[in-house]
Amino acid sequence: MTTSIPLEGQPVVSPRGLGWSARRRRDGWLMVAPAVLLILALGVYPLISSLVLSFRRWDLQSHETPFIGIANYAEAVADARHWGSWANTLAIVVSAVSLELLLGFGLALLLLGDFRGKRLLLPLLMLPVMMVPVVVGLTWRMLWDNQYGPINHLLGLVAGRDVNIVWLAHRDTALAAMVVTDVWQWTPFMLLVLLAGLTGVNPELYEAASLDGAGWWASLRDISLPGIAPVVAVAVLFRALDAFKLFDLVFMFTQGGPGTSTESISWYIYQLGFRFFRLGYASAVSYVAVVILTVVATVYVARFLREIPE
Amino acid sequence: MADRDSGHEAVNRERLAQFVRSRISRRSVLKSTAGLAAAGAVGGSFVPIRRAAAAPRLSPASVAAARLALQQGADSAAAAVAAANALDPKPEVLNVVWEDGLQLEDPTNFFGPRWEELTGIRVNPIGKPFTELFSSQVAEKLGGTGAYDVLTLVPAWTADFVAQGLMEPLGPYIEQYQPDLDDYHPLYRELMNYSGEIYGLFDDGDTIILYYRTDLFEDAANKEAFQAQHGRDLAPPTTWEEYDQIQAFFTEQGGGETWGGASQRAPGQVYGWFSEEFRNRGGRFFDEATMDATLASDAGIETLTRMVASNRTMPPGVETWGFVEVLTAWMSGQLAMIGGTWPPIARWSEGTTAEQLAWVPETTVAGNVGYSVMPLGHSLHNSGFSLAVSADSPSKEAAYLLIHWLTSPEISLQRVMLPYALRDPYRLSHYASEEYRSRWATAGAYLDTLKSAADGALIDLVLPGSAEYQTAMDQAVTAAQAGTPVEQALAEGNAAFDAVSDRIGREAQKAAYAQFLALKGSYYS
Repeated sequence: MTTSIPLEGQPVVSPRGLGWSARRRRDGWLMVAPAVLLILALGVYPLISSLVLSFRRWDLQSHETPFIGIANYAEAVADARHWGSWANTLAIVVSAVSLELLLGFGLALLLLGDFRGKRLLLPLLMLPVMMVPVVVGLTWRMLWDNQYGPINHLLGLVAGRDVNIVWLAHRDTALAAMVVTDVWQWTPFMLLVLLAGLTGVNPELYEAASLDGAGWWASLRDISLPGIAPVVAVAVLFRALDAFKLFDLVFMFTQGGPGTSTESISWYIYQLGFRFFRLGYASAVSYVAVVILTVVATVYVARFLREIPE
Repeated sequence: MADRDSGHEAVNRERLAQFVRSRISRRSVLKSTAGLAAAGAVGGSFVPIRRAAAAPRLSPASVAAARLALQQGADSAAAAVAAANALDPKPEVLNVVWEDGLQLEDPTNFFGPRWEELTGIRVNPIGKPFTELFSSQVAEKLGGTGAYDVLTLVPAWTADFVAQGLMEPLGPYIEQYQPDLDDYHPLYRELMNYSGEIYGLFDDGDTIILYYRTDLFEDAANKEAFQAQHGRDLAPPTTWEEYDQIQAFFTEQGGGETWGGASQRAPGQVYGWFSEEFRNRGGRFFDEATMDATLASDAGIETLTRMVASNRTMPPGVETWGFVEVLTAWMSGQLAMIGGTWPPIARWSEGTTAEQLAWVPETTVAGNVGYSVMPLGHSLHNSGFSLAVSADSPSKEAAYLLIHWLTSPEISLQRVMLPYALRDPYRLSHYASEEYRSRWATAGAYLDTLKSAADGALIDLVLPGSAEYQTAMDQAVTAAQAGTPVEQALAEGNAAFDAVSDRIGREAQKAAYAQFLALKGSYYS
């Protein structure tokens, strides 16, 4: 019988044959395996699969899925309906996010001080954010109804005569209806984020400014706004990226009509992919969207976030 | 194929082995993860779709049981039950795709429990909104899940379902089990055929008819005023010009509270109304020789111009009205006519459904409803479901026997009379049924009108890519309703049609279109 004593630097071998470092590696792998599998299955696999798909022709009517190079991308670039859906999406995003920022900021200023009922009011204001988007769409569709909807009724009271605007039957009014609905649902999000930002501004700065004779507007311009600039930038980025995915309101309000005049980019991709099963082309259009949004977001971050002084 | 699969498996195994052997670092984890995903994506995504196997092996015991039952005088439904009970092994459950909402009441409350009671096989209804029926069934096929046994389709989807191998050809089953095909109305019997094969048993006669208020049409004052205004009798319209006159007449009388008529004009629904009138006026979808789209023909321009003009005497905002809005206005007595809709409205108008349908407005028009074939004589068969056996079903024979039983004269009659299930008459025995004809005072006239409408009905376009063609037609109409000049809207419709034909292939589409032309109801001129 011999006894071997491990030398320094050599792995310690267990009676079962696995060294300490090997067991450590194995245990490490076992611990990260669920997360890795989840990322593979739900994130990386669909991403790569759809990228590969975007270079193939995959249509419902054919058994073949030939590699066609960048033909799908070339078609996307030349597709007027594709860019029309971008134009609609941009119009909605720019209008809605701007209004949400202005209204959210205004409300945040109003709610900044302490007052009775603030603890009740804030959660109430948050209710729209918590609603399921399809429910919002369904509810607002009824509100926009030309015959029975209260919006026309209220406008009639203001105008002093019957108002019968068929909001959802024309492009401009339908897009306006989507913007208003989006503003109703998401302004509270802006309010919450901006209120948190304003609360974080050092109150001593306001006191110092007051002693220097600065008024409300000067304090807002020179202390509040610079103080919450990073928060505003992040909130706008988050909201804009979220608004770009607009689907539910198009689905519930207009189905992209009349014609194709209110299609958003998400709705168009859904039509291509899950109604017509042009999966190759739908993937290419999706990647065009991903690339454009990534570039815009990167430029935005570089321009607005990195330049903000700490 | 097997070689390719094993090749990919080997590559994947090797990458996995490398992955496990490598030291853990963030970079290696990312690299390996991406590699695995890429291998999986490239190797696993593009399995060519195979056509369904040609000749199923039917259970001799079941076939013998069905024949014995028929010899002993049992009906077709009882024979299907006997065959299902002789299956060995007998499946515990059949997964049945069905339209949800009201339609789902049928499998849930009517045929599901009965089939289970008779055969011991449970029916698991999987409800999908109509807009997702097509995509969800195709998606399941692409995923290869085999999750469905019985599929639901409308005839317009047949070409795409066949192209993707979704459905089991039913020829061998029909040959052995002999469903009562001769009892089908000829239009619907023919709609079951595609490329010389039967893929589904038809189950829902959705031919559109016109509804009108008999009390208003027979009112002496109305008759006199209409005669004075238009120099002819007030009677159900036989042309769209007559329809517009009557609609305008009653709209003017209604003073903004009631209207002469309404039709479904919302995106996603209005294409059917264009498609019907367009073909009644002699329009054709394509030039047969070139497959160039011909929507912007004289017939197209005339049809769409009239439709847009007709909206002006319908309720304001009719451009957003779908089936439910039209139903609501009709049931509350706000409309003198419905310019065409699906058959269940007749049953609901007579108040036969109040106990089942809380959401259907209470009828104010019972006993005052007349029925007519659509103006210009050829109504449209719009949608209408068939039932098919999934090519991926592990229980094909049981699935077939279920749809055989469901569509048998005996069971289907009960189902088309259900007040809540939205299935409509499609067998000759349905139209002749004394039980149905005695349901309300004018039920006989209703069934006669449905049969007349089916006799000369136009059918939806059955062609690969039909969903895209229909959508393009729909978009042309809704664009014109929103103010786009009719000629421009139809030219854009033509361009969209041509783009679909070019992508799928003109020659292939030409051949498919020739098959469509051979169907009864494709055109009448």
